[in-house]
Amino acid sequence: MLSFILRRVAALALTLCVTAAVIFIVLEILPGDPAAVMMGVNATPENVAAIRAEYGLDRPAVERFLTWIGGLLTGDLGLSYTYRVPISSLIAERAQVTLPLAAMAVMLSASIGIPLGTLAAAKANTRTDSLVMGISQLGLAVPNFWFGILLVLLFAVTLGWFPAGGFPGWGAGVLAGIKTLILPAVALALPQSAILARLTRSAVLEALQEDFVRTARAKGLSWPATLRKHVLRNALVPVVTILGLQFSVLVAGAIIIENVFSLPGLGRLMFQSIAQHDIIVVKDLVVLFAALVVFMNFIVDVAYGIIDPRLRRT
Amino acid sequence: MSGPETIAAAPSFRRSPWRHPSLIIGGIIVALIVTAALVSLVWTPHPPTKLNIPSRLQGPSATFWLGTDHFGRDVFSMLMVGARNSLAVGIVAVSIGAVFGVLLGTASAARSGSWLDEAIMRTADFTFAFPAVLSAVMITALAGPGVVNAIIAIGIYNIPIFARLTRSGALQVWSRDYVMAARAAGKTAAQITMRHVIPNIAGLIIVQATIQFATAILAEAGLSYLGLGTQPPNPSWGRMLFEAQTTMQRQPLLAIFPGLTIVVAVLGCNLLGDGLRDVLDPRVNRSRS
Repeated sequence: MLSFILRRVAALALTLCVTAAVIFIVLEILPGDPAAVMMGVNATPENVAAIRAEYGLDRPAVERFLTWIGGLLTGDLGLSYTYRVPISSLIAERAQVTLPLAAMAVMLSASIGIPLGTLAAAKANTRTDSLVMGISQLGLAVPNFWFGILLVLLFAVTLGWFPAGGFPGWGAGVLAGIKTLILPAVALALPQSAILARLTRSAVLEALQEDFVRTARAKGLSWPATLRKHVLRNALVPVVTILGLQFSVLVAGAIIIENVFSLPGLGRLMFQSIAQHDIIVVKDLVVLFAALVVFMNFIVDVAYGIIDPRLRRT
Repeated sequence: MSGPETIAAAPSFRRSPWRHPSLIIGGIIVALIVTAALVSLVWTPHPPTKLNIPSRLQGPSATFWLGTDHFGRDVFSMLMVGARNSLAVGIVAVSIGAVFGVLLGTASAARSGSWLDEAIMRTADFTFAFPAVLSAVMITALAGPGVVNAIIAIGIYNIPIFARLTRSGALQVWSRDYVMAARAAGKTAAQITMRHVIPNIAGLIIVQATIQFATAILAEAGLSYLGLGTQPPNPSWGRMLFEAQTTMQRQPLLAIFPGLTIVVAVLGCNLLGDGLRDVLDPRVNRSRS
């Protein structure tokens, strides 16, 4: 088990390095001088030269890369051009909104998608199955940001049950914070739960064909108990894996959803940094988002290895 | 307990594609959207970008079928032109993904187990970690927002999806007896790929292209909503939703119609993809999986 985890950690470190290198190279190759982009309309040759010197953009690419990686490892991400505060503290502050939002969305999508998918599989080829699959087909087609707008229209504008946007900060109380995050989390969770319902249905149907199900039924175990104790336990392994892998979709979704609800999270910071040409923040945020995705895949890999010992050998 | 995924009789699928409701419904929806997009090239009920302030924020009427926005522009005309825009982005982005993905996937399968295969697949794994929106954000951060950059970002996101699918399909073809025979007859890997592999996996690729098309429409709408895709004054469904948010309290329908159009378009593509899969890939009855 230890060697399996060590191998996965080595692969994680390698992937993170490659991720950082690719992001750096892509931003180097892309047309546009970061210094000129940051200055926008004020981009006189003198101003651009001053910015290049201030942010070390005039140094060789390899040196800049190593400095950047060193900064990433030590948590020193430099100063934001727009906000004039350390980028690490900016990210830490905004993560307090995005991470709870993502966690709520994952919990919601799992608590909607897994039961619905199990129900559809247990009632395979009946009207219930068709209804669940029809709803999930619709769920896949609804853009999460539009669903967010509809939720605002109904629950904030018309009924006034939830705030239409903004975030009071955790200082205003946990309940107030959670209340603000409910609508965005529901909007984010919808397409995820549709995907999860379909995957759960296939996984449960596959598990139902296994010999151990027939054995369990033959020894007199009731149908609900067979489903709970044997089928679901086996079917959930691939489902949990996919739930982890969907994290990347969720992260991308947060960029849009935080804008719909004006939430001061990482996604909105990314969007604002683009609008304000704060390339250094954009670069750090992209690497952070990618690292989150890679790290989540690592967790899934390790969890999968713990659940299914056969996979430790691969 | 009823049986799960059952092996279906292949000939019945081949003989009767019209028995698949998802194929028919999806086909009709996609045909309607393509027609609207094509008609918008020569005719729209009103000029889609013309400002008409006296008629702003009107509800649906005989003159303005779906009402007008905060600049008095006709919503129906904007949706028609938006369809053109979404289709163009979808076609180009999915083509980029399909062409490069199939190229890499077939090369990977032809050299299965080699360093080339390993390099292509690991790169695909890596690119997979970047959702379309994230790649687009990175590209637009430096190169500036715009529809071309959005297309490139969505296209890049599609490449590993097609590469993985092509590789797995092609590996199955490579293991067939007739391919062994072709190899024994001295055919090169390129000749076998062109003559045997690609024709055999074409159905698979077409089905995936339809599904990715739906994803591309969603991604373009999301990017345009953020202001990173289609730029004003060109109408786009995502942009219309963004603009509707400011006037939502006075005219909620402005936030409804573009969203419904996206849902119908995406649903149409997904249903068409499901239907095509049943017809083109009859080995497994996946009509409701």
